[in-house]
Amino acid sequence: MAQTAEQIQRDLLRPVLDPSRRAKPVIAGLALLVLAGFSAWMYQMYTGIGVAGIRRPVFWGFYITNFVFWIGISHAGTLISAILRLSNATWRRPITRCAEVITVFALLIGAMFPLIHLGRPWLAFWLAPYPNQRGLWPNYRSPLLWDFFAINTYLIGSLIFLLLPLIPDCALLRDNVTGWRNKLYSLLSLGWRGTQKQWHRLEAAMHIMAILIIPVAVSVHTIVSWDFAMTPVPMWHSTIFAPYFVAGAIFSGIAALIIAMVFLRSSLHLEEYLRPECFDNLGKLLLVMSLLWFYFLFAERLTTWYGNARPEIAVFWLTQRGPYRHLFWVMVGCNFVLPFPLLAIKKLRTIAGTFLASVAVVIGMWIERYLIIVPSLSHKFLPYAWGTYRPTWVEITITAATFCGMALLYLLFSEVVPVVSIWELKAGLREPVR
Amino acid sequence: MERRDFLKFGVLTGATATLTACEKPVQQLVRFVPEEDFVPGVATWKPSLCTLCPAGCGVTVRIMDGEAEVVRNGQRGILKMGLAKKLEGNARHPVNRGKLCARGQAGLQVTYHPDRVSGPLKRSSSRGSGDFQEIGWPEALSEVVTKLAELRSQQQADSIRFVTGEMRGHRRELINQFLASLGAPAAVQFAPLDEPVLRRANVLAFGRAAMPSFDLERANYVISFGADFLGTWNSPVAQSIGYGEMRRGRPGNRGKFVQVEQRMSQTGANADEWVPSSPGSEGLLALGLAHVIVKEGLRSNPTEINSSREVEEKLKDETYSPTQIATRTGISANRIERLAREMAAHPPSIAVIGGTPLAQTNGLFNALAVNLLNMVLGSIGSPGGMFFAPGASTVKEASSANQSVDFVAQVLSGGLENAEVLFLDNTNPVFAMPPSWQVSQKMKRTPFIVSFGRFMDETSVLADLILPDHSPLESWLDDVPESGTSEAVFTLAAPAMRPLHNTRAMPDVLLEIAHSLGGSVSEALPWKTFEEMLQASYRELARAERCHPTDGFEKFWGRMLEQGGWWDGQCQIHSPESPALEFQAPEFVPPRFDGSEQEFPFYFQPYVAEAFLDGSLAHLPWMQELPDALSTVMWGSWLELNPKTAEKLQIQQGDLIQVRSRHGSLETPAVLNPAIAFDVVAMPMGQGHAQFGRYAAQRGANPMSVVAPLQVEQVGSLAWAATRVSLSRTGRKGRLSLASGALYEQEKELELR
Amino acid sequence: MSHCWGMAVDLDRCTGCGACVIACQAENNVPTVGEEAAQKSRTMHWIRIERYYEGEFPNPRVRFRPVLCQQCDNAPCEPVCPTYASYHTSEGLNGQVYNRCIGTRYCANACPYTVRTFNFFNPVWDKPLHLQLNPEVSVRQIGVMEKCTFCIQRIKASEIQAKAENRALREGEPVPACVQSCPPKALVFGDLNDPDSEVSRLARSPRGAKLLSELGTQPKITYLQRDSWDGPNS
Repeated sequence: MAQTAEQIQRDLLRPVLDPSRRAKPVIAGLALLVLAGFSAWMYQMYTGIGVAGIRRPVFWGFYITNFVFWIGISHAGTLISAILRLSNATWRRPITRCAEVITVFALLIGAMFPLIHLGRPWLAFWLAPYPNQRGLWPNYRSPLLWDFFAINTYLIGSLIFLLLPLIPDCALLRDNVTGWRNKLYSLLSLGWRGTQKQWHRLEAAMHIMAILIIPVAVSVHTIVSWDFAMTPVPMWHSTIFAPYFVAGAIFSGIAALIIAMVFLRSSLHLEEYLRPECFDNLGKLLLVMSLLWFYFLFAERLTTWYGNARPEIAVFWLTQRGPYRHLFWVMVGCNFVLPFPLLAIKKLRTIAGTFLASVAVVIGMWIERYLIIVPSLSHKFLPYAWGTYRPTWVEITITAATFCGMALLYLLFSEVVPVVSIWELKAGLREPVR
Repeated sequence: MERRDFLKFGVLTGATATLTACEKPVQQLVRFVPEEDFVPGVATWKPSLCTLCPAGCGVTVRIMDGEAEVVRNGQRGILKMGLAKKLEGNARHPVNRGKLCARGQAGLQVTYHPDRVSGPLKRSSSRGSGDFQEIGWPEALSEVVTKLAELRSQQQADSIRFVTGEMRGHRRELINQFLASLGAPAAVQFAPLDEPVLRRANVLAFGRAAMPSFDLERANYVISFGADFLGTWNSPVAQSIGYGEMRRGRPGNRGKFVQVEQRMSQTGANADEWVPSSPGSEGLLALGLAHVIVKEGLRSNPTEINSSREVEEKLKDETYSPTQIATRTGISANRIERLAREMAAHPPSIAVIGGTPLAQTNGLFNALAVNLLNMVLGSIGSPGGMFFAPGASTVKEASSANQSVDFVAQVLSGGLENAEVLFLDNTNPVFAMPPSWQVSQKMKRTPFIVSFGRFMDETSVLADLILPDHSPLESWLDDVPESGTSEAVFTLAAPAMRPLHNTRAMPDVLLEIAHSLGGSVSEALPWKTFEEMLQASYRELARAERCHPTDGFEKFWGRMLEQGGWWDGQCQIHSPESPALEFQAPEFVPPRFDGSEQEFPFYFQPYVAEAFLDGSLAHLPWMQELPDALSTVMWGSWLELNPKTAEKLQIQQGDLIQVRSRHGSLETPAVLNPAIAFDVVAMPMGQGHAQFGRYAAQRGANPMSVVAPLQVEQVGSLAWAATRVSLSRTGRKGRLSLASGALYEQEKELELR
Repeated sequence: MSHCWGMAVDLDRCTGCGACVIACQAENNVPTVGEEAAQKSRTMHWIRIERYYEGEFPNPRVRFRPVLCQQCDNAPCEPVCPTYASYHTSEGLNGQVYNRCIGTRYCANACPYTVRTFNFFNPVWDKPLHLQLNPEVSVRQIGVMEKCTFCIQRIKASEIQAKAENRALREGEPVPACVQSCPPKALVFGDLNDPDSEVSRLARSPRGAKLLSELGTQPKITYLQRDSWDGPNS
């Protein structure tokens, strides 16, 4: 801890006060790709959902895969940050904010997909329970409605959880800029003066939010899993799904966080702050989740195989030996075989090592979501109605655009507020490393 | 809402409406005064007749009011009119008793097809180019009249040819009277679904050229040799009704059904026992069964024929013993004996033959053998047996067993070349005949061709003049069903709806031509319209003893139109009037096949597709999208082969296969079928149209393009199942739309897509 | 007494002819989708005839099974719909309110019978094929799920007719289009609340079974299994 408070403030405000020009073409490129995705969506809206590759019986495809995937990614932040905050792990200080931002953006992106996938997206507001003349209310028995509430709750919670610790840093920015930016930061800093009382209240509010957000986060992915587990579809109708999904979500979330941190570290020159210890610690967490994920996968597969019920076993063999076998083994490789040695062997658990493992995990977890959704739907109970699924360019474009969108939002965010919390690092200077 | 607000709102809406109206021109079409009365939104049901296949089922048409774009007196406009909405079986009709097959119901789309010829057309460039210009009816008719008058004045009326499809009733009568009055030869029929071989066999065996009917309801044992009698053959609806009753209509007594064929048909799929004898050996198998029954003295009640003794002696001959025929038929002697004993022990039993076995070169032998088996089983004219519908002999029998063959003979002997004028009605020989017979090239040499086609098909496109006929729902129709009922039936129907297009009923056009020709022609056809002719003819029927109209003809006529015809309501299953006196046990003739076994290892069996029949229904979108019962293919054609064969040839489902015979080749995707012999490949008829509207044109392949021009011996009709082919992979995938995702439900998890 | 509409499918009578498929298509304005969409199995038929092979040449067997909406008493499609577009009617049918459907397609995933079809595009009838449309059945637009209704328009018409004539419904009334057309009378429709109706009688048959009964969906369609022949009095 060689830095001084001034150094921290200077280093971390630099990306905001003096954004690098190199980022401009990257932003433009990403924006273009996002625009392409948006155009594809508009084309789909205009022409009809039929331009996607979904068909009978695979009525859910890439879009719902993306939905589950992004909601999973969103568990990176808030959950990890909340747990680390509560456990008072000091190495969390530089990473909490990058993590919390992931949550908000991933949720926003994830929540778009149910809309993108609707047959009549213009009527999506019917999901909301608003009073109306006809006395029509949404169906509270539908897991999709639970989703609607869970995601909204989580989004609001994560937003608060992100914005609360932003207050002191926004105040700092407010005092360093002029013009419209001053107005923006004044608004975000909510009249922060740095009084003892304000500090005290902030700490208290953060503590309460950290406790509240954990069950919310767990419930969100639980409910997402219930979208599947509540229906009588072979291999969906499973009690293991809720913890399996939550574990997978945290797993992919940590991986996404590591990837984000690696990029921030190099592009914003935060080598001093996002130190190898952070990656080492996160790497350990990722290792635990990888083992946990493999355990769930094993439990799910073994019980299905042992149970040998006809519809389930058809889907089982479809992924094990059938046309989805390549994807299945790529998934196992990405989520376990590759990350395990990288993360378990101390020498390999470097920044590069964890980064590589994380990229593999993100890919693997996307495939996992795909393999949960598509094979089951394609082989339901009556073999005559079995089918296949092949995505179209529209789905692929929109999917690619959301990844670009994530990067774009993240990049823009890092130019608007410091992605590493200045006041928390400063506060860290005063206490011994634990 | 305040009144003021309301007014404001009203003004606003009005203004918006005006603005919107300015943007988009209002419907410019004229609104015609409705020609009929109806209660809006209330459906009425009118009887009609299904003309899509030879079965002749009675239908009822659901009529509701609607707005159609029509042409009246050369002007296009909107007319509120009664529109046919749905076709159902006529519940009172003795043939189909309220039921109707998929094809019959899709007949609705014939009327509303977007590619119907909507008015008379005249060829505007070279023949076959498909370029036509619209002309008016008066010009069109005067062209025909001029041509006919010219021929008559040159004493060349015998060079007039008239080719029709399957056609019965007064439509056919009118054509023939018209031709006779001109001094032209009678019309010839070209209907690929007709079974001239069976008709000939029935003439030889029973003295009847008609198609047989079957009393399945009361049968305990049915053996069918290749006949798709539940799908497409003969009178499928009537037979399906009977089949249902045979299976479950008699508590405690479920009849057995055995199917003999090499490729499982929709009918065969329902069999209790499926017997894949080798191609062309069906007749031999039938004689083998008869041999066992006669030899073992199992006959309970054989049909009496004069030549019983000789036939019996012949049948007892060892050449027909199960052990002797086992190799030839591919069926073990034990099985033949068991089947023979079973069918003899469970009378009444019926043997049926149709389809592929009749399309072998030895088809006549096969048919005669099965007729003989029926005699031995004693199933002729008895309850639970086969019989001839009584109706067929009452109106001038539309018999002439050789009509179809006449057309083939005419094509082969150059009859078409001598023709000066060729009339075509409801027939498409260019599509349904093998290309090596060169129908198209021969027709192109005919100086003047008039088609009454409703659609531009491969044959109509060669015409000089197209005088489009009304759709059946727009026409006066009558028919005498040839089979499928034990009652005497006359089906009669008035137009169910007014014409949509600038078309005219073919019979009315003929009458108009006749009147324009004047003289003896006009005198021979004194009626102004077809309706008049029907009335006149049925007036005679009403005078006949059987009908007993007690309340005058008008009432009788009204009743007929109301219920869709007249039937006597009496079951009349009886033996044919005259069993042939000298009926002999037929001599076995081995089938011949075109192509050597080494070069062309597979028997090629085209089959009548449920959805398209001979191809005449391929233009209907409902039929194109109806999954085939066995292969479940939609919107295309395909080649069926056994998975084991495919494995050997390294062919996978959906691979584009080249099928080659000595006479041509075609490409089509492969479909695996576990219910087809290893050395047989099968392909549905009906696809591969060059022209036939947007839904059928350029879709799939026509099996006729590889069929060898072999003829059935002693009959002369096309032996379309007598070709051998070879298969090769093209290395490409074909376009295949399958409804089914799996072949098996339980035993194997066989992936198909 | 309220009605409980049900069906019996006698697989021993069914010949797989497809008459029901077209009858349904004609009655309920079910569109055709064309080759490209058919290749993606996006056909809209409300009833399909499943074909399953058993065994191999030379002893192959085929079973046909018409599958349509089973109108489950305990329908998996109903609770999952977030907007109540699929709901249980007072007569026990699985209703589908097209106007209320937003196209989540969740019901179609939940349906174990895969009988729900989805309008991936707006249906098209090339003029003048649109004149064949049945004015008593609404045409569904893009993004909307649809399925067999047991020809609810025919049921309602019969009920109204009976009420107007001040009588109870008769046996054989109403009759859905598929049942009306079936030549071998494999499909039987009627009121399961009436113990003497033919459908009730068939539903009690020892040959009767529900499709995927192990899922507990309690379908209102009974399948009477195909029999085998082992003598004249089997």
